Amino acid sequence: MLPRIAVIALNTFREAIRNRVLYLLLIFAVAMISFAQILSLLTVGSEEKIIKDFGLASIDIFGVLTSVFIGIGLVSREIERRTVYTLLAKPIHRFEFVLGKFGGLTITLLVNTTVMALWFFLILALKGIFDPNLIVAVFLLYLQFLLITALAVLFSCLSSPILSSIMTLALYVIGHLLWSFDLLKAKIVSPAGRVLCDVLYYVLPNLGNFDIKGPVVHGLPIGPGVVGAALLYLLLYGSAVLAGACAIFQGKELQ
Amino acid sequence: MRRLSPPRSGRRGLALAAIACLLLAALVQGRIEARAASRPGVHPLLYLPSGKYLRVAALGFDGILADAIYLWSIQYYGNFQIADRYRYLEQIYTQVIAELDPRYLDPYLTGALIMTVEARDPEMALRLLDKGIVKNPDAWILAFEAGFVCYDNLKDYARAALYFDKALQVPGCHPTVRHLYAEMYNRAGDKRASLREWTEIYETATDPYVRTAAWNHVHDLKVQVDQADLGSALDRFSKREGRRPRHLRELVSLGVVPELPRDPEDRDYRYDPVTGEVSYRGRLILVGF
Repeated sequence: MLPRIAVIALNTFREAIRNRVLYLLLIFAVAMISFAQILSLLTVGSEEKIIKDFGLASIDIFGVLTSVFIGIGLVSREIERRTVYTLLAKPIHRFEFVLGKFGGLTITLLVNTTVMALWFFLILALKGIFDPNLIVAVFLLYLQFLLITALAVLFSCLSSPILSSIMTLALYVIGHLLWSFDLLKAKIVSPAGRVLCDVLYYVLPNLGNFDIKGPVVHGLPIGPGVVGAALLYLLLYGSAVLAGACAIFQGKELQ
Repeated sequence: MRRLSPPRSGRRGLALAAIACLLLAALVQGRIEARAASRPGVHPLLYLPSGKYLRVAALGFDGILADAIYLWSIQYYGNFQIADRYRYLEQIYTQVIAELDPRYLDPYLTGALIMTVEARDPEMALRLLDKGIVKNPDAWILAFEAGFVCYDNLKDYARAALYFDKALQVPGCHPTVRHLYAEMYNRAGDKRASLREWTEIYETATDPYVRTAAWNHVHDLKVQVDQADLGSALDRFSKREGRRPRHLRELVSLGVVPELPRDPEDRDYRYDPVTGEVSYRGRLILVGF
């Protein structure tokens, strides 16, 4: 099973690196990280904070866009181009196909994030700045990309690329706003509404678990177990999403 | 095979038309802005929401949004051609940037500087710094800055001492704050408390320069405190005896004071029984500073 998933993953990676969108996003990310250095000249006070903020935000934004724009086409494009039939005609399970596709984008994102991070660290090094916590922050961003990719793959199995991208981006937005359910709950009088807030809070993906940009930029200590908890959350939530994607693809009528 | 690309001349014409349209659009934009400038419009910052709401829209990018508004504010408040630029100053720094990124120290310090020096509103600066102190209890620089605003702008030395004391409670506070704290009591007229603080600085300092500076303060303050003590003892003596003492030792022999203070060089203070004035035999070090 694993060699088959690996072959699909490797081919998906090869396909992804031929995608011009990937390079366009990478160029924009590198340009934005570099732009931080120019922007930092306009500040009064710490330039370091501006460079770190811009660097981490660029990696975050362009990593998410890569996950979404490449992830949404992974399954649906194969169906649209009918290349999926060639693959499924071979002795592979449908879930292996989905997992292989996810694995391929995981490798693509790893390469993409590494390139952006290396450029970011090079710019910091030129300023004489090195903070090992930034590596932790970038690693957590990568974990976030994996969760977004899993969601993109799920929606890719469900619907068209445009709808998939809208739904994935909507979940990205919601995932960063889950903290506001607490505020909403405080305003709701009805017990049923409050329970619904709680249910939504735990059911929707909490991307706040992967965001330590603020504390890292301000040099604050990262709480113990933050990385472990994020990894565990990704493992469980990501597995649930991918299991759902496999189930949907398994039952999909391919004509 | 026949090529289906359009003729070269047609493409050039389209490109020229595109450039011409772009230039015309730029001209129209210029006209729109000129007309807008002549109309009394709303203030550009009127609809900038509070940082609490902007945080929701920031989707986890609160830090970078705070950076962007801070960078913009530096350019905006540095533009002296905008007549009413201080109208929303407090909102920008206290309600927007401080709410978006409460740990960002530079905007507190720069904002306080603009409020004090440019807008000439030290109380506004203190409100911003107070917010910063609450959000960043480990940053002594904010309490120090607030103390300096009280000292330098408001000349409210007692309030300045309170801020400097708050800064001193934070580990890692710069030793200079201690000097300012001690000096505030002097400026506020509490020379005895100032002497106590400077003496402690003198006794604990390891740097020879700091010790010398502290000694100069201790020296002068001790003379001033001793002269004040002797002056009040002489008043008590005069009220009780109905005359001035013939010499200072009479203050001890008649039980007005238990002992006579000695000057920093371990000498007696000079006393004039005719005028009743007590004077120091040497010269004050910091007189004129």
